[in-house]
Amino acid sequence: MSRRRFFVYWVGFAVIVALLAVAPLVLPEFWRRFLTEILIWGLLAMSSDILIGYTGMVSFGHSAFFGLGMYGAAAALLGSSPPNLWLALLYGLASAAAVAAFVAYFSTRLRDIYFAITTLIFSQIFYVVIFTSTAWTGGENGLNFSRPRFAIPYLFSLRFTPAVLHWFVLAIVALSYLLLRRITHSPFGMVLQSIRENEARTRAIGYAVERYKIVAVMLSGVFAGLAGVLYALQNQFAAPDFVFFVVSGEVVIYNVVGGIGTLVGPVVGAAFFLLLREAFSRFFTEFYLIPLGVIFIAIVIFMPRGLLGFARRWLNG
Amino acid sequence: MSVAEAAPAAPSVAPTVEGEPLLRVAGIHTYYGKSHILDGVSLTVGRAEIVGLLGRNGVGKSTTLKAIAGIVHPRSGAIAFDGQPVAGLAPHTVARLGIAYVPEERRIFPYLTVLENLRTGLDRRGVSKARKAALLDKAYAYFPRLAERRAQFGGTLSGGEQQMLAIARAMMLEPKVILLDEPTEGLMPSMVSQIAQIVGALSREGVAVLLVEQNVPLTLEACRRVYFIEKGVVRHHALAAELSLDHSAIHQYLGV
Amino acid sequence: MNIPFDQFLIQTINGIVTGMILAMVASGLTLIFGIMDVVNFAHGELFMLGAYVGVLTLAATGNFWIALIAATLAIAVLGAVIYLTTLRPLIGRDPLTTILATFGVSLVLQNYALWQFGPVARKIEEPITGHFSLFYLEYPYYRLAIAVLAVAIIGGLWLFLKHGTYGIWIRATTQDRVMAQAMGIPVPWVLTAVFAIGAGMAAASGVLFGPLVGVNSQMGTSWVLRAFIVVVVGGMGSISGSIAAAIFISLLEAYASLWVSPAQAVIVSFVVLILTLLFRPTGLFVPTPK
Repeated sequence: MSRRRFFVYWVGFAVIVALLAVAPLVLPEFWRRFLTEILIWGLLAMSSDILIGYTGMVSFGHSAFFGLGMYGAAAALLGSSPPNLWLALLYGLASAAAVAAFVAYFSTRLRDIYFAITTLIFSQIFYVVIFTSTAWTGGENGLNFSRPRFAIPYLFSLRFTPAVLHWFVLAIVALSYLLLRRITHSPFGMVLQSIRENEARTRAIGYAVERYKIVAVMLSGVFAGLAGVLYALQNQFAAPDFVFFVVSGEVVIYNVVGGIGTLVGPVVGAAFFLLLREAFSRFFTEFYLIPLGVIFIAIVIFMPRGLLGFARRWLNG
Repeated sequence: MSVAEAAPAAPSVAPTVEGEPLLRVAGIHTYYGKSHILDGVSLTVGRAEIVGLLGRNGVGKSTTLKAIAGIVHPRSGAIAFDGQPVAGLAPHTVARLGIAYVPEERRIFPYLTVLENLRTGLDRRGVSKARKAALLDKAYAYFPRLAERRAQFGGTLSGGEQQMLAIARAMMLEPKVILLDEPTEGLMPSMVSQIAQIVGALSREGVAVLLVEQNVPLTLEACRRVYFIEKGVVRHHALAAELSLDHSAIHQYLGV
Repeated sequence: MNIPFDQFLIQTINGIVTGMILAMVASGLTLIFGIMDVVNFAHGELFMLGAYVGVLTLAATGNFWIALIAATLAIAVLGAVIYLTTLRPLIGRDPLTTILATFGVSLVLQNYALWQFGPVARKIEEPITGHFSLFYLEYPYYRLAIAVLAVAIIGGLWLFLKHGTYGIWIRATTQDRVMAQAMGIPVPWVLTAVFAIGAGMAAASGVLFGPLVGVNSQMGTSWVLRAFIVVVVGGMGSISGSIAAAIFISLLEAYASLWVSPAQAVIVSFVVLILTLLFRPTGLFVPTPK
């Protein structure tokens, strides 16, 4: 990256983060909340981009990692008194990681459509288990819990007001983005991209492709779990609906709409999609998915590189 | 100054048989991704004429046949068949106009029986039952082995039998021209001479053949005219009768 | 745990009946996958819309059989329209894009149904009433009729594919699309027709199954998942494999529900799928590839 582009990139990043940080101070509560949700869904979509965009594996099972992060956090928050934020993070990430390891072990042996279907089916297994284990998960009704305090022992302890929560989410999403960006630019990330371009050749040069894929799925799953924890904190409940495969489908939609292999694209896709949903749901009430589906199909057909890729090409003339 | 233009045979070539040729390919360009495969190929095939296309591997011989068959669409240039422009038409339309294609890999339908393979070309609108029976009988007369194996899956045939089936299948379209891509590749010598006889027989029945071959003696024997292709361009053409195996054009374009 | 023989037998019959419906849904799906590498995520919605067209036609005409035929034809036409508008532009792109596009189609169709028909389930009256005694149960004749009809429809499909020009065209196109077209077969037309046939079969299954459960906009979702499982377990693109897998999986689920709730019994089929993918990814019910 040239010096100039380097500079432009970081200034742009700082400006966007600053704008997002100021937002809760100026936006009404509804839009503040909306923005926080976009960040959370954006993180989920970004985690999935590691697989779709960088490794060339389309996961239709990200709802499982997201949901397990959510239920892990729920278990920690219900099980500890007073509820502890760090325990919720720990439980959420650990359960997402465990599930991701399990799914990765089996699904990475398969490719293309078969990988997509396997991840889909795995997420449905977790959905059925969560849905039917009423005693632990509350079944269909899910779990409700209260928000922990944002505290570091001996240092500070804050109540999670909407603004504090927003900043907390923003900080985690921004750090995750920087970390994922670092990872995708690292030698490890290069191997993943080489798997996407030509798996056989990557194996031939001597890389243990299966191991790289397993790590990629786990990495992706852990960040999806992180999004699940944030979502649990924001909404104070966990429900099986979030483990259902339709959520995974929406994550793929965010990626495709925004532009895969860019990390930022999926966040843009999530924002675009959620905004459209908000707008349409005012005109079409609960049938907003009809125009939304049509737009999605049009993007799949006419903008194979997503909004970001389309904008980039359009800007470059 | 290329050898082609200096070649002694060049001035005496009769480019086509009388009148408008059956097939005229004029300056077609094709690309595969960004690589330029055909860089302005032009050739003609007369009615019932056997024309050969010679050149080293990867110079665009097969692509020329695919372009004529409509499988690859040329980005520019024209293809006229029977006086009608056909470039850009879908392959099935081209086939029904009377251009049959026999690809290099034969591409028999492996899980269709021999008879069903033939019926892919035979079951067309406007072909009477009697006509269909006659066409099948003719194919079985040409290739008695296919009659024996009519109920067998195409994938179970030997290489030579698959080649017979591929040619017979093309004949089912009652074509005016057959595009034949390396029919003798990998065949036993006895089969090779049989293929040569069949090409001759087709021509006597009024079917033109555009033949791509690696087997130079066979090509010179079977064809009336021969084109030499190099890097996507026709460099030279000559009457086969005026060429011999030690001709300079053959040395230059085939490196034998 | 000891399962009495009568329960075992009842579950066997139940398993075969649902298995035949599933086989109809899955054979359409596998036909579509086999010929054009399209994973049709909207297949369940075609099943659901078929059932709704059945409901409407039945209300208008009072005749179940007319409803069955009308639904099949209407959804076949819808299938052709879906193919031409959303899938044809994707020819030559990664097969995964077809999952995305058809996922979009399923969102649209599902919510369209919700909008048009509302959330309350509609009822299709059984065309054949009456029961016979099966141990302690009054087993409806209609369930057996479903199995017989499904066998007839699948048999009809098989005859259509095995004999006659169009069957040859479809099989040739499945085996080598480019060569089929070079032989003069109108491949674009064949692909559209196959999508329409698959859609029509899904619709027919929806109408047949409607009387057992009631028709609502969500009913397609569980079917498309199960049909996916069946198609993969049976060997993608193999119709006979799909039929065998449909019956096998339905029987397993039926037996499993002797011990656990039907919702949990679904996991059995998931496990079968995962084992298949791991140990025999080409499918359980196809010959070992050479």
